[in-house]
Amino acid sequence: MRFQQFDQFAAELKADTRAAVYDGSKKGHEKRTKLLFDEYPDPNRLRHLAGEIKQHVIENLDTYLPAVEAKMKANGVQVHWAGTAEAANEAVLRIMRARGATKLVKAKTMVSEETELAAFLEKHGIEALETDLGEFIVQIDGDHPSHIVKPIIHKNRREIAQSFEREGLGAYNDDPATITQRARKFLRHKYLVADVGLTGANFVSAESGRMVLVTNEGNSRFCLAATKCHIAMIGIEKIVPRDYDLALFLNLLARSATAQELTVYTEFISGPKSPVQPDGPEVMHVIFVDNGRTEVLASTCREILRCIRCGACLNVCPVYRQASGHAYRSVYPGPVGAVLSPLLMGDKFPQKADLPKASSLCGACNEVCPVNIPIPDLLLRLRNRAKEENVPSPGTPPMGAWALLASQPLAWRASLLGGKLIDYVPTKLIPVPALQAWAAKRALPAWRGGEFRKWLKARRK
Amino acid sequence: MLNAERAPVTGKRVQLMATCLCDAFYDDVAAATVEVLEHLGVEVIFPEGQTCCGQPAFNGGDWVASRKVVRHTVKTFAGDEPVVVPSGSCAAMMFHGAVLEFENESDLPEVEALGRRTWELGDFIVNGLGVKTWPGKFAATVALHRACHTRGTGSIAAANLLLKSIVGVQVVEFGEVEQCCGFGGTFSVAFPNISTAMGALKLDHLRAAKPDILVSPDMSCMMHLTGLAAKEGQPIKAMHLAQVLRDALKAQ
Amino acid sequence: MTAPDDRESILSRVRGALAPLHERAPLPDYSTEIAVMRSLVAGRDLVELLGERMKRVNGLALTEVAALVAHLRAGGWLHGYCDPVLWPRLAPHFGAELKVETEFDRTRVDDYAFGITRAAGAIAESGTLILHDATTSRRLAALTPWVHVAVVERAQIFSDLPQAVAALGRDPNVIWCTGPSKTADVEGILIEGVHGPGQQIALVLG
Repeated sequence: MRFQQFDQFAAELKADTRAAVYDGSKKGHEKRTKLLFDEYPDPNRLRHLAGEIKQHVIENLDTYLPAVEAKMKANGVQVHWAGTAEAANEAVLRIMRARGATKLVKAKTMVSEETELAAFLEKHGIEALETDLGEFIVQIDGDHPSHIVKPIIHKNRREIAQSFEREGLGAYNDDPATITQRARKFLRHKYLVADVGLTGANFVSAESGRMVLVTNEGNSRFCLAATKCHIAMIGIEKIVPRDYDLALFLNLLARSATAQELTVYTEFISGPKSPVQPDGPEVMHVIFVDNGRTEVLASTCREILRCIRCGACLNVCPVYRQASGHAYRSVYPGPVGAVLSPLLMGDKFPQKADLPKASSLCGACNEVCPVNIPIPDLLLRLRNRAKEENVPSPGTPPMGAWALLASQPLAWRASLLGGKLIDYVPTKLIPVPALQAWAAKRALPAWRGGEFRKWLKARRK
Repeated sequence: MLNAERAPVTGKRVQLMATCLCDAFYDDVAAATVEVLEHLGVEVIFPEGQTCCGQPAFNGGDWVASRKVVRHTVKTFAGDEPVVVPSGSCAAMMFHGAVLEFENESDLPEVEALGRRTWELGDFIVNGLGVKTWPGKFAATVALHRACHTRGTGSIAAANLLLKSIVGVQVVEFGEVEQCCGFGGTFSVAFPNISTAMGALKLDHLRAAKPDILVSPDMSCMMHLTGLAAKEGQPIKAMHLAQVLRDALKAQ
Repeated sequence: MTAPDDRESILSRVRGALAPLHERAPLPDYSTEIAVMRSLVAGRDLVELLGERMKRVNGLALTEVAALVAHLRAGGWLHGYCDPVLWPRLAPHFGAELKVETEFDRTRVDDYAFGITRAAGAIAESGTLILHDATTSRRLAALTPWVHVAVVERAQIFSDLPQAVAALGRDPNVIWCTGPSKTADVEGILIEGVHGPGQQIALVLG
């Protein structure tokens, strides 16, 4: 392989897909930044603080997890633990079968994307319907989301209108309002006949066992207003210490994710519905999912577990904007995905070891992260891990000889003089294909090896 | 993210880390750095044994190779004078990158110590020496490139302050200043298509602002952008901050 | 129902992962005041501020029943649901033109153009209505009609988010609604009324 697969993918991306991804992410970033800086004298303090709180949580999960479990049980929630994606899916299936349930409506949850829950349930004869508009479109298209909060950032209205027509949701009409109304009309009757509503959780308060769920569309609320059984799949890192901390996190999440002061629906759920309430789940199950997280916790990249899935790092990332989310071949694209996705692979890390290299290490991701994750540092650590595990990496020149040269001053100075040759080698003859591609697009400055040292010597005389 | 804490500057003697890019291509940037520092009454020592900061291997993931070079650099820049670098990324390599890759090494303290006394040039002039204005004259409209490795440091504010204080300099803003030029070291080799697209975008924004000169506090971004522009057949004029400061002095 | 081994193995892996840490990051001490838009909130009449902030998210705050009735008429939303507890208070203002049911029938969700329920409070800073299981007669009635009207008592308006978080209380389900249901999934274009109401109205009384 001459080039990185990721770079090839970006090069072959359709022009209008690239434009859609670029415009969508750029706008998202600009709105977020304006909102944060308009409203707070020092938004960076909020980010740093939130990062410290989450770091505290992940470094104390051994006490927080049992504490949350105890609170939830006391609140009447049935708590389950799933070590793997398969175990998590099996747990959902078991709960459904025990109820004789056959229809599930689900809100957007990244962890269920990890476990590919919908496909698993369908295979076992259960109708599992995505209700977030973007996720619904992804589902009917058999596609994959390409952004954490804007799953169909890569699609345009014409493609969506065609999908709706194909699925019998109405004659071709690419007006976004019409598309939305058709989904509304179709989905509301699906919720009402569903047995189980499945959601994730954005935060779980260890103090109260309350889980917090945010959506703009109201689909998760509909799941929890229409069905009698609620299953929440929750990554074990989703905890915040206290209810008190929620104001900070909710403010940061809404602004970072969608440039809103607050997400439209923020639901605080500590158990099954109140006895005085006719609508909503009588039974609530929580499945705490590991699926590789404890391995991340044991790694030198555990800071990535602070992530609150806002997508701000995708929006600002110049590489994401050029390559789109599908270039990452993972549930989590963008800078956070370049760290998290290879880590979640466990032993199969080499399969995604190229992702940490797909970054110019510009650091913009760290600058916008609402929990201040040092993403570039983590990318670097993973590059080092890939090297230590001898994962082949096209386009990465071997550094051993260079290091030898750069630690021997005499040899270094000799090469400064010899480097003049570079001026005479035609691009076509450069022996490394990737370097050839580099030089085909960029002129090198003239070689001036050793000239400065000469100049300085003359000046000092 | 950066370990950007600096030891306060005492005395007027510095060691110059000229960087491999100056050694190989940008000799005039290193020369300008010497002249600028000497103008400020600073004695400049040039440790002859210097080579590279170790960044290429560090970014490439080969930390064994990188540490070898960093150890050489630590040895070469012994002493307690500030080390001044006309490059934001080499400076960041010393005070951040090297610290990261030496986390579990017994000689971490030596590496950290070098980091604490390493300064990017503009940062050193303004925040190290406390110089807030620049004399002389330089008649040009300039655009200041935000080299990514200066994020979280005082470098860009310092460069802006100095440039704006020079008689004749007009600093113009341009779109998406916080976006990367696409270089990223080995990234530009392994991901040439994305890198080129990022650079082209940066050039579009820069050209729209119509500066006479692009000013950069880092040679690598400058090399990338001028190299792309030249191959496109629409060369841009770029100068390192040190060169602008030096040329302003000449016009005094 | 759970395979018991997963709990133990996860917790044991967590303990194992954390064991090598020499120290654990402490919980920082801070005041949530830093997350409040204080300059916006300070010294303001909360009803007025709630109205302003709701407007910003395309919601609507009204202070008179007559104005609500006029709004419903003007929009052609003539058939709806009202919480039976509220109805005696509101009925005198509703003319015969509007058909109001005080029983919500989930088999006919599309029949209700509006739903009027009680709110447990509101948050002025964010333009948010707070619904509790205990006071919102039907979750579905506040969600499925195109227009949702939440009746808020003046005294129940919090100034900011931290205040409202502190008052979450013991209800197993609290939901904050900030403007109408919306999406920007299709080409980033804002569309209101996705699964929930396309109009979110606060009727502030008392």
